[in-house]
Amino acid sequence: MKKDPRVVFGRCVVYGLAWTVLAFLVLPMIIVVPVSFTDQYYLSLPKEELSLQHYAAFFEKEIWLAATLDSVIVATFSTVMALLLGTLCAIGCWRLASNAAESVRTFMLTPIIVPTIVQALAMYRFWIDLGIMDTYFGLILAHTLIAIPYVVITVSASLANFDVRLEQASRNLGASTSQTIRWVILPSIVPGMLSGALFAFTISFDEIVVALFITSRNVYTLPKRIWDGIQDHLDPTIASIATMLIAVTLALLLTELWARQRRRARLTARIEAGEG
Amino acid sequence: MPEGSTGARSGHALSLRNLSKVYGSLAAVDGVDLDVPRGSFLTLLGPSGSGKTTILMSIAGFVEPSGGSILLDDTDITRFPPDKRNFGMVFQGYALFPHMTVADNIWFPLKVRGVSKADASAKIKNALELVQMGHLAERYPSQLSGGQQQRVALARAIVFEPDLLLLDEPLSALDKKLRADLQWELKSLHQRLGTTFIYVTHDQEEALSMSDTIIILRDGKIEQQGVPGELYEKPATRFVADFLGKSNFLEGTVGEVKDGAFTYVCGGQPLVQAGAAKHTKMSGQVLIALRPEKIALTTERPAATNAVSGQITAFNYYGSAYHFQVKTEALGDLIATTPAWTCAIEPSIGNTIWLGWEPDASVVVRDR
Repeated sequence: MKKDPRVVFGRCVVYGLAWTVLAFLVLPMIIVVPVSFTDQYYLSLPKEELSLQHYAAFFEKEIWLAATLDSVIVATFSTVMALLLGTLCAIGCWRLASNAAESVRTFMLTPIIVPTIVQALAMYRFWIDLGIMDTYFGLILAHTLIAIPYVVITVSASLANFDVRLEQASRNLGASTSQTIRWVILPSIVPGMLSGALFAFTISFDEIVVALFITSRNVYTLPKRIWDGIQDHLDPTIASIATMLIAVTLALLLTELWARQRRRARLTARIEAGEG
Repeated sequence: MPEGSTGARSGHALSLRNLSKVYGSLAAVDGVDLDVPRGSFLTLLGPSGSGKTTILMSIAGFVEPSGGSILLDDTDITRFPPDKRNFGMVFQGYALFPHMTVADNIWFPLKVRGVSKADASAKIKNALELVQMGHLAERYPSQLSGGQQQRVALARAIVFEPDLLLLDEPLSALDKKLRADLQWELKSLHQRLGTTFIYVTHDQEEALSMSDTIIILRDGKIEQQGVPGELYEKPATRFVADFLGKSNFLEGTVGEVKDGAFTYVCGGQPLVQAGAAKHTKMSGQVLIALRPEKIALTTERPAATNAVSGQITAFNYYGSAYHFQVKTEALGDLIATTPAWTCAIEPSIGNTIWLGWEPDASVVVRDR
């Protein structure tokens, strides 16, 4: 069958646009890869040869490692806290299923709605009064507050798909409320909790505005150090860090894909074995 | 003897006393009194919105009644939480835990009672054998067919020897043939266990085939209750005669009453009905329900006491039976069914045939 030229043209436009947008999104990220191998001492593309010196610099200079460690500590603790509080909040609202619960859930979203700069300012004022400026606890608390809404959203979404009859079945079979949460509800919302945790970790690891406001010398996170690095002398170490972060993210993503595929393959194998 | 063994074998009795549940201004259950005898198979039958599921959910403890009480062997359990009632339940859609294997699903009620999997293994095995699922213990629910999931749900609901087994339309998601097979299985399971079964359905065939007692519900009230045969043969109201099986309704004016029978005139046609002329209206109107299979179809005028002729306007062939729609002068449109292999008339549209029935083939019903 001969194709209508208008259809062909339309398809070209659609594909062209799609690829352009994709390139626009991805290229700026990928550009840091060649930059990270530069042989120069400022942010630029390699001139004479490829060099690993900026990777070496990251592992040799104490400030980078210390900043990474700080970021990991803060992100880990705030993820754990956001996950715990956000999940409890989501389950509570889901169980109540009332208008009040709905208002609570909406209220939990305020950290996403209020501009970060406004929040940072508010925290700055309040953290001084609390005496937790420039402490790990202060920053962990701030990041927990920022991350909770994401956990509430993802866990609530999981619960929305959760069959109420499973909870009823559990209670009917003699399980108490806490046994039901532990053995029936939690296993069903693990995917939601995992993606909530991932959001929380990423947000904390990436966060700079609040960190700039409420930390100074004691707590020095990676984004803050990178910010300083750019301010001072366009240190190419930043590009090497960015490249490593991209690599880690890609590795995580691929692992997840691989695990999912394996799970599916196992399931199919089991079904076929059972039927054969 | 300890409660666990004798109790489950002889079954428990359940009573509802003036049970009601009001949602806003709507009474889903409206003052229901009901006694479920020990070890019986009782079915709550009704169309959607008749309150049957609300009653079952109240018994299970998931719906808090607005009024009245629920008694288990004279113990008031109205305010007991669901997990303290010890009732097994088979849910619509089975509600198996998707992240547990079949064996773990069945272990669950024992696990929450503090029984380790090793100690529970014999009971799990027995329960699986009872529903013929022993070979699939390590599968996950998503790897089972609907009928298999249904059997697992059943095994899970009986493994902890519950005082009652509640079944909420358990067969509604299955295809017709499987549904028929499982009806046999459920009935034989009930006989072997001796547990009291309370079954909710909107399927009249299921209700008729399995129950000791059927409760017909309408708008949150009990319309009629009794053993299946009695309900089918002697429906008290137009609703029951229409909901349980099919019926033709003849509305006539009562004439002469004599010798345990009476005559009535319907559309100018005199007819005879056995029994007393009950439920007559002020105007002397009476309502008669006539089952389609109790009408004899012939080509010539039959010797039956009641006989009318009419034209076939439509017919369906079901292999085992013919269903006819017949248009009559006096009685309007009637439906009649007959076994296909003994069908005495030529099934073709426009054909004129005779319909005949004896006075005791039909019943007087209340119009409500």
